[in-house]
Amino acid sequence: MSTSFRDWIAGRSVFDRDMTIKQKEMLLGYVLILPSVLLVGASLVYPVAYNIYLSFTEIPVDPTQSPEWVGLANYQALVSDPEFWEAVQNTLIFTFFSDVGATALGLGVALLFRNKFRGDGIMRGLVLLPYIAPLIAIAFTWRWLLQPTYGIVPHLLQDVLELYPSGTNIRETLGMVILFDTWRYFPFAFLLILARVRSIPNELYEAAKIDGAGRVARFKDITLPELKFVLAAVFLLRWIWNFNVFSDVWLFVGNNVPILGTFVYVRGFNTIPPNQGYAAAVANLMVIGLFVMVIGYVKYFLDW
Amino acid sequence: MFTKIITKTSQAVSSMSRRLRRQSIEAPLWERVGFFLTLGLVGFVSVFPFYWMGVTSFVDEAWLYQRTPQLVPAVSDLSLTNYQTLFGAETVPFVQYFLNSLFIGTVSAALGLAFAIFGAYSFARLEYPGRWIFSRGVLVNYMFAGILLVIPIFQILVTLGLVNNRLGIIVTHFIFVIPLGLYLLGNYFRSIPKEIEEAGLMDGYSRIEVIARITIPMSKPAIVATYMYAFLLSWNEYLYASVILRDQGLYTLPIGIEQLQYAFENVWGDVMAASVVTTIPVLIIFLYLQKYLVEGLSFGNMD
Repeated sequence: MSTSFRDWIAGRSVFDRDMTIKQKEMLLGYVLILPSVLLVGASLVYPVAYNIYLSFTEIPVDPTQSPEWVGLANYQALVSDPEFWEAVQNTLIFTFFSDVGATALGLGVALLFRNKFRGDGIMRGLVLLPYIAPLIAIAFTWRWLLQPTYGIVPHLLQDVLELYPSGTNIRETLGMVILFDTWRYFPFAFLLILARVRSIPNELYEAAKIDGAGRVARFKDITLPELKFVLAAVFLLRWIWNFNVFSDVWLFVGNNVPILGTFVYVRGFNTIPPNQGYAAAVANLMVIGLFVMVIGYVKYFLDW
Repeated sequence: MFTKIITKTSQAVSSMSRRLRRQSIEAPLWERVGFFLTLGLVGFVSVFPFYWMGVTSFVDEAWLYQRTPQLVPAVSDLSLTNYQTLFGAETVPFVQYFLNSLFIGTVSAALGLAFAIFGAYSFARLEYPGRWIFSRGVLVNYMFAGILLVIPIFQILVTLGLVNNRLGIIVTHFIFVIPLGLYLLGNYFRSIPKEIEEAGLMDGYSRIEVIARITIPMSKPAIVATYMYAFLLSWNEYLYASVILRDQGLYTLPIGIEQLQYAFENVWGDVMAASVVTTIPVLIIFLYLQKYLVEGLSFGNMD
């Protein structure tokens, strides 16, 4: 009956005699995944549930006091909060345009890399830089590039090219945030699309050329259908991340272009006094909104 | 001898025909020029901010804040003042931030992997009812970005007394790293031929012994790569670090650099130098990670 620790570590238990190999494997499977499931569950399932509860409460700043139940008050306040609706609008515009931007640019650059050329490994590395560099570094680099008084980009656009009147700040705008995000994430789309692009057999293009198909026709009838799935997947993933974006926007423009992510952060941590119950309500609505959008996309648009 | 000649000839023929084919699909000149111009533009747009980051970090204030900004500094404009300020430790404890980030990243990645290796093996290899939930569950995790859960997790950490505390940020980061590890390692373990492990089982190894003596040693490169991705997640993470860490002595790089930027007016030289120092370890890691680029990067960011 005695099982030494060593036996136990080696997976030899007293039950050995009574269990089939299959059962043992099953048991071991559960044992091995259990710690991960418990931890991730503790950091995912429990917080999701807890967040629902918190959204019906007012959370006192003093941590020794427990949250006070206020029913639907947070949600009622949200509906008539113009800042919330502004954030909703900005988020949807931001999500859509930076998703389209990053996916389209990623596609374009991937097509550029379709045929190998000398030095394409190095070029690929350079193109990936925006995506792999630490966010803090590039967010502040963009801030500095676009700094209204001393930034090199405003200098070029305003003083040299005179594209817009002086005194305009182009940095803290929704358009610039979209551009920033497009720039940062097009390499992600590029990388995923490139793998598919390179697997399209060249013969397809050759044959189409011989049949007299033009550039546009080849793109429309060969490239797009071949890439349909990867494009749809990239678009979906970028949609999810753009919708949930926080750090990118916050570090680049702070609260000057309010989106839902920054709205949660500001209300939860950056207002005096913070209103975390309110922020929790916003986060809940975000979860619901995202699920509806994702399910809708997968069901009706992708037709899976 | 004879076969050698045949293979040689056939090789020559095939390489010739390949060359011919390439010529036949060779694009006209204007098309090639257009190709390289577009490529150059893409490269420029991708790299220019990094160029500017580097330049800004290596010049002094006078050059940065001149009336007409210039694109390329003269050699005489170059200086190390910004780096001296950064590492001088008189104004900002930048070295402390760097060490904090290094420590938190190293420890949380190691803890996360310790759990993820076994979890990933479990759903990649062992068969049991409900297994699919775990492999799909990794993907559901995609949807719950940090910002959606920051309030409840913060409240939990408050209750546990883990706010403003290194342990708090390590616990958060290491749990966040687990799904990444499950995903990357699960994919990798599935790619190892089953037969190798079965041979081990035949030789009388138990499953655990198979994992420890066959699977893990065989997966070393993938485990190292996953570890590095996990480290980078922690290294770059901003949101949770910003709500958990309050004392300056505990700050990680993202928080420290942000603080530097807000605390002083126009310290762009220092901020860019700090950005360079933060970026360099990441680039070094990616040089190593080249082989695992697509898989790792497709998992996405933490927030």
